Amino acid sequence: MLAYLINLGVLVGINAVLAVTLNFVMGYAGIYSIAHAVFFGVGAYTAAFVALHLSASLFVTLPLAMLLAAAVSVALALPALRVRGEYFVAASLGLQVIAVTVFSEWKSVTGGIGGVTGIPPAELFGRAVAAPAHFLVLTLACLGAVIAATTLLLRSAFGRSLQALRDSESAAQAAGKNVAAIKTLAVAVSASLAAVAGVLYAHYIAFVNVESFTLDTSVLLMAMVIIGGTGTLLGPLVGALLLMLLPSLFSFMSFLPPTEISAVQQIAYGATMVLLMIFRPGGLVGGNARARS
Amino acid sequence: MSTVPVEPPLRVRGLRKAFGGLRVTDDVSFDLAAGIVTTLVGPNGAGKTTLFNQITGELAPDGGSIALHGQALLGLAPWQVARRGVARSFQDLRLFGQMTAHDNLLTAMEPATGLWQPGGAARQERRERVAQLLEATGLAAQAQARAVDLSYAQRKFLSLARVMASRARLWLLDEPASGLDRGSYERFVALVRGAVRGGVTVCLIEHNLDIVADLSDRVLFLDRGRLLAEGTPQAVMGDPALAAIYFGERAA
Repeated sequence: MLAYLINLGVLVGINAVLAVTLNFVMGYAGIYSIAHAVFFGVGAYTAAFVALHLSASLFVTLPLAMLLAAAVSVALALPALRVRGEYFVAASLGLQVIAVTVFSEWKSVTGGIGGVTGIPPAELFGRAVAAPAHFLVLTLACLGAVIAATTLLLRSAFGRSLQALRDSESAAQAAGKNVAAIKTLAVAVSASLAAVAGVLYAHYIAFVNVESFTLDTSVLLMAMVIIGGTGTLLGPLVGALLLMLLPSLFSFMSFLPPTEISAVQQIAYGATMVLLMIFRPGGLVGGNARARS
Repeated sequence: MSTVPVEPPLRVRGLRKAFGGLRVTDDVSFDLAAGIVTTLVGPNGAGKTTLFNQITGELAPDGGSIALHGQALLGLAPWQVARRGVARSFQDLRLFGQMTAHDNLLTAMEPATGLWQPGGAARQERRERVAQLLEATGLAAQAQARAVDLSYAQRKFLSLARVMASRARLWLLDEPASGLDRGSYERFVALVRGAVRGGVTVCLIEHNLDIVADLSDRVLFLDRGRLLAEGTPQAVMGDPALAAIYFGERAA
């Protein structure tokens, strides 16, 4: 039972990192990306490749994965500079589709559909973090660092600039804000911190393939942010916790036939979303009505 | 008074802009002089806001030139024009709705881009200036209210305070006084006059002729993209031909 809970804790932690970093661009910069799983994937594949060929030390895998994800994030920033709202959603969908193709076809790096196996455990100061309990501590430490970094940024002048351009791009420009540079930076920060989740995931599961980084994952992450409360500090954490625990909850319901659990889950997700949008449009943590001016 | 001729803060020459066959700015030339209030008047669709949009870089003209203290503004992005000291307000306000009144002003003072920006003494100074501005615009009690939750007049004042916060020396105000009651209007006039005395160049768009007569030193009359007249409010608004255009009694 304890092993089960630790495993669940690690997975909730990894998803919380993703939800927090997605909320950073969605809730504070108004960039509604359904390509967040791409950066999760870039982080995971980079960690897998580097750990197998160079070093499994987190001091090597983390910076490289973050750098690469930030570089790839330019592909998301470019459309974000040109279009907003539903047009940007469509553009990010395009990036998600391209990335899945690359993940499943670039066999020499990603192992194709079969993925990469035998990824060594993460190393910290020369010692492998292999025990699940130790890995849980590592995951929570990373989550804490990501929350601290994003919160500090949001409370700074940079965070105010982000919120300003979310509320009115033309007024932000009229106030002297270089909207293009600020958006590009925000997307790069979000992507590189999302890569942290990918690194943790690759080391933890010791196996990565494209299944984990598809549109389904991106949509699930967006659901976490929206259900928890877009643009709130605690919202993405609550959303990640809820959507990760819900499946386990159903598996404890012995009257449900195991083969039907995933269908019941989908219905539950869908119903939750619809009810939330009616009764708490700002999410569980957010206010009731967040009128946009 | 200095006897050295001073370059007018803003010089616009031969500005042209057309949307398809519609000329929205048709060979417009004028100067904005320092220390006075210039008002753009004209019927709806005369091209007043379009002129603001071209000065601030939001809209690229087809031809002509715009210079601020002798430096060309054309080709610059709106944020670059803003950093050269041109601030504007919008007719539809465009406040940062989800941010507090306090943060609306604070962010207008922080145009830099980087993730880490210097704090220390400058930060304290900015916070003091925000408090002063909120006090001056009558918004001190609303400092922590979200902009979207403010009343109409409060939002108008927040929009003006945001311009004041920028420390720009040229203000372009798009219908800043519309819908204000008498008391609010007087507060608004006092703020604009105070800024002008401090050397700020103000250009505003206004429809209310009482306000035009009351507040402006100089009037530019636009119609269908063309600058038809400029002069004192009395001279321009007293011209029967212009009044006929303004009130829609266009002569054949």
